[in-house]
Amino acid sequence: MIGIIDYGLGNLSSVLNAFKRINDKEDEVEVFSNSEEIKNYSKIILPGVGSFKAGMDLLNNRNWVPEIKNYVETGKPLLGICLGMQLLFSKSEEEGLSNGLNLISGTVNKMKIDKNLKLPHVGWNNLINKKKHPLLENIKEEIDFYFVHSYSCVPDKMEDIKAEFFYGKNFTACVGRENVFGTQFHPEKSMPSGMVLLKNFIDWKA
Amino acid sequence: MQNKDNLKRCNKCQLPETYETIEFDSKGGCNICASATFKNAKIDWEDRKKQLDKIIEENRNKYSYDCIIPFSGGKDSVFTLNYLIKEYKIKPLVVRFNHGFIRKTVQDNVHTTLKKLGVDFIDFTPNWKIVKKVMLEAFKRKTDFCWHCHTGIYSYPIRVALMYKVPLIFYGEPLGEFSNYYDYESDKIDLENEEKFLMLRTLGITAEDMHGMINKSDDPVDIRDLSPYTYPDTEELKKLKYNPVCLGSFIPWDHHKNTKLIKKELGWKNDELEGVPDELNEHGEKIECFMQGTRDYVKYLKRGYSRVSQINSLNVRNNRMTPEEAKKSNEKFDGRKPPSMEVFLEYVGLTEEEFNQIIDKTVIPPNKPDYKSNKIAKKTRDFDDWYRENNKKK
Amino acid sequence: MLKKRIIPVLLLQDGRMVKGKKFKDYVDTGNPISQVKIYTSQYTDELMFIDIQATVNSRKTLLNIISNSAKESQMPFSVGGGIKSLSDIREILAAGADKVLINTSAFENYDFIKKAVKKFGSQAIILGIDYKYNNEINQNRVWTHSGTTQTEAEPFELSKIYQDLNVGEIMLNSIDRDGMMKGYDIELGSKMSKTLEIPVILCGGGGNFNHLVEVFNKTEVAATACGSLFHFGDNSPMRARSHLKNQKILMRSIK
Repeated sequence: MIGIIDYGLGNLSSVLNAFKRINDKEDEVEVFSNSEEIKNYSKIILPGVGSFKAGMDLLNNRNWVPEIKNYVETGKPLLGICLGMQLLFSKSEEEGLSNGLNLISGTVNKMKIDKNLKLPHVGWNNLINKKKHPLLENIKEEIDFYFVHSYSCVPDKMEDIKAEFFYGKNFTACVGRENVFGTQFHPEKSMPSGMVLLKNFIDWKA
Repeated sequence: MQNKDNLKRCNKCQLPETYETIEFDSKGGCNICASATFKNAKIDWEDRKKQLDKIIEENRNKYSYDCIIPFSGGKDSVFTLNYLIKEYKIKPLVVRFNHGFIRKTVQDNVHTTLKKLGVDFIDFTPNWKIVKKVMLEAFKRKTDFCWHCHTGIYSYPIRVALMYKVPLIFYGEPLGEFSNYYDYESDKIDLENEEKFLMLRTLGITAEDMHGMINKSDDPVDIRDLSPYTYPDTEELKKLKYNPVCLGSFIPWDHHKNTKLIKKELGWKNDELEGVPDELNEHGEKIECFMQGTRDYVKYLKRGYSRVSQINSLNVRNNRMTPEEAKKSNEKFDGRKPPSMEVFLEYVGLTEEEFNQIIDKTVIPPNKPDYKSNKIAKKTRDFDDWYRENNKKK
Repeated sequence: MLKKRIIPVLLLQDGRMVKGKKFKDYVDTGNPISQVKIYTSQYTDELMFIDIQATVNSRKTLLNIISNSAKESQMPFSVGGGIKSLSDIREILAAGADKVLINTSAFENYDFIKKAVKKFGSQAIILGIDYKYNNEINQNRVWTHSGTTQTEAEPFELSKIYQDLNVGEIMLNSIDRDGMMKGYDIELGSKMSKTLEIPVILCGGGGNFNHLVEVFNKTEVAATACGSLFHFGDNSPMRARSHLKNQKILMRSIK
C-alpha cells in the first residue's frame, strides 16, 4: 500500500485521483494523516503546494520529521512532489532561513532569471539532461510537465540531479538519491506522461 | 515548391497547414508522413498479428457473439468483416448506424456482402427530424454538419456491445492513416474508446451539450432523442471490459489492396464520388454518403484543401504518386462546388448566402476562400435518387 | 523552455455553460461535466471556470462541478466568480481546484489578497482585471461586479499595484472584445506583459488561431484565455497547439 502524507498542505485528491486512473489501482493508494502509521506503507508520497516555512511548520507540529527520516533509513521509497521535493532539502531561503528534512543535501533559493522572464515559473516545460533512473523510464525529453513555483532546488551534489529544465538557464527538475526521488513539477497534473512517472513509482524497487 | 495559394504545405504529401493536427518539421515534411514511414519500416507486423490471434481466441465462443463489427458497406468495414470471417471464422454481430444518406450502390454492396458472408445484422436509423436539427446546430457552431454521423457511428456499436454483453469491437482503418491524433510510433494500438470519442468524434459537443443547445421552450426536444449519439456509461463499459480496437493496428492497412480484394472476393462495387475524378478513386473512398461532396466542399472553403488532396496525400505516402504529381492533381481537381449542396440547404433551410456567411466566421487562417469560384463538380448518376425536402429558400 | 498556454474559459450559469458577447446575451454552450471530459480528452493545458451568477445556489453547483471535474480530469484548473473570503478560497481549493480567480473582491480589499497569498501561496491566486475603453476620456477603465460597475482605476496602473500584492498571475479581460472574435487587445496586453514581472493571461477577443499567434508574437503574455474560439468554430486545443507550433510558437508536447 502506498501512502500519501496529509500534513495539511497540498491538493491530495489530485494525487489520489491520478493513481485511480493508473490501471484502476485505487486500492493500492491511500491518504493518511497520523505520522505514526508511516511504517505501514511500502512507499510514501510527500505532496505540497505553498511556502516552505508553512510546510516545515506543519511537518514539525505533527511529528512528521523524525518519522519520515526513519522511514527513509529503512530503504523504502519516498517521492516528493513540488513543495514536497523542496522539503527534502537541507534548507530554504523563503521567508527567512528554514531547515528542511535534509534528505538531499542542498538549498532552496528564489529563482534568479532574466529580466524578461516572469515568476512564478508557471505552465508547461520539458525535461533536459535526463539521467537514467527507474522513475524516468519511457519519458521522452520533449514531453512537457506542469510546473508552478518561484523557488527552485540546488543540490550540493551534481549526481543528485536527475533531470533539469531550462528557463533562461538550467534549473533542477528532478532529484534522486538512493530511495528518495523528487519532482519539482506535478506529475499528477501532467497527463499522459505524469501517469507514466507515477506508474514507474508504483513499480520501483528502490 | 511554390504554392498558388498562401498555404504552407508538406513538401511530400502536400497537405496544408490548415489540416488538423499536422505539424511540419525543420525539413518541411510533416508528422503524418513520419508516422507512415514508421508504419512501413519499424512495426513488427508479425508480432501484431500474433496479438490479434490472441485477442480473437480470448473472445471466441465466450459471449453471444465473438465480436461486434461496426459496418457501413464502405470499403473499410467490408474489408474488416471479410477479413475477420475468412481468417478466423468468427461469429460477429454486424451493426450499422444509418446516417440517412446512404447511396444505392453501397446499399447493394451491403446486401451482397451480408448474404455472401452470412452474418447477423442490426441496422439503426435515428429520427430524421432530430437529425435535421442537429445538422443545422452543428453546422452553425462548428461548420461541420456531420455531428450525428460521427457520434452515432462511434457510439451506437458500443451501446450494442453493452446490450449484447460482447466486449470486443472491431473498427477498421486506424487514425494514423491520415492524422496525428493517433500515430503509429507513439500509440501502438488505436482504440476507438471514450477518450477518442470525446477527443475528436464529438467535435467538442456531446449529446448532453447538444440537447441544451437545441431544446427551446417553443420547440422542445426530448433528451431521449439524443440517446443515439450518446456514449455509454463509463462504469458499465469498465465492467464489460470493452475493447474497441482497429483492425489496422494489427495488419498493415493498404487501401488499394483492400479494395481489390473485396471486389474480387465479394463483387464489391465502386461508385462515382462528387468532386473527385473516377481515376483518382479506384479504391472507392467515401462513396457511402451522398452528402460527402458538400462535406468536402465545406472543408475546402474553411481550410483550402479537399477530398482530392486527401486522397493524393495517401497516394504519395504509399508511393503511388510523386509530390509533384499530387500538387498538379490537387490544383487541377480539388475544391469543386457540389450539386449535393442544394439538397443540404433544403434539409436545413438555409440559403447559399447564409451558408457562406456561417462558414466565413470559421475559416482557418491563413486560408482565404473564394466563394465565387466557378469550379463545379459533376452530378453523380444517382443524384436524382436522393431524398429531397423541397424546402428551397429564396 | 517554458511553453505558451491556451486556457479555455467555461462560464457557468444555471448549471450550464454559456458564452456571451461583451458580458451579455449569453447562449448555451453545453453541460459543464461533459465539457470538462472533452477538454480532458484533448489534453488541454489548463481550464478556467467562472461562475457568472455568484449566488449561494450557484456556488453549490460550482463546487459540485469542481469536485466532479477533479475526479474526471488531471489538468490544472482555476475557478472564479464571487470569491469574497478566505473560506471561499479554502472551499474551492479543497473541492479540487488549483487556483482561484478573484476580481471584484481584490479591487475592494487589498488586505484580503495579502491574507490569501500568505495562507494559500501566491501560486494559488490569480487576480482578474475586467476593463472597457471609455470614449469620453479616451482611456481604459476597470469595471467590477461582472462588468456592471465602472471604477476610476486604469487597468495598467492597477496591475502594477496587484503585482505588489505578491499574487501568482494577472488575468486581463477586455469587455469590449469579449465574444466578438476579432482579436485581442495587443496594445495593452503588450504593455502590461512587458512591464510586469509576473505572468499575464490575456482574455477577450480570440476568434481564430491567428489571433493567438499575434498575441504570442507581439507580447510577452504567458497564456491566452479563450471562450468563443472553441465554442463557435471548428477548433480545439489540440488543433490550436499544432497550428501555433507550425508558426514557431513554443507549445506543449504530449507525446
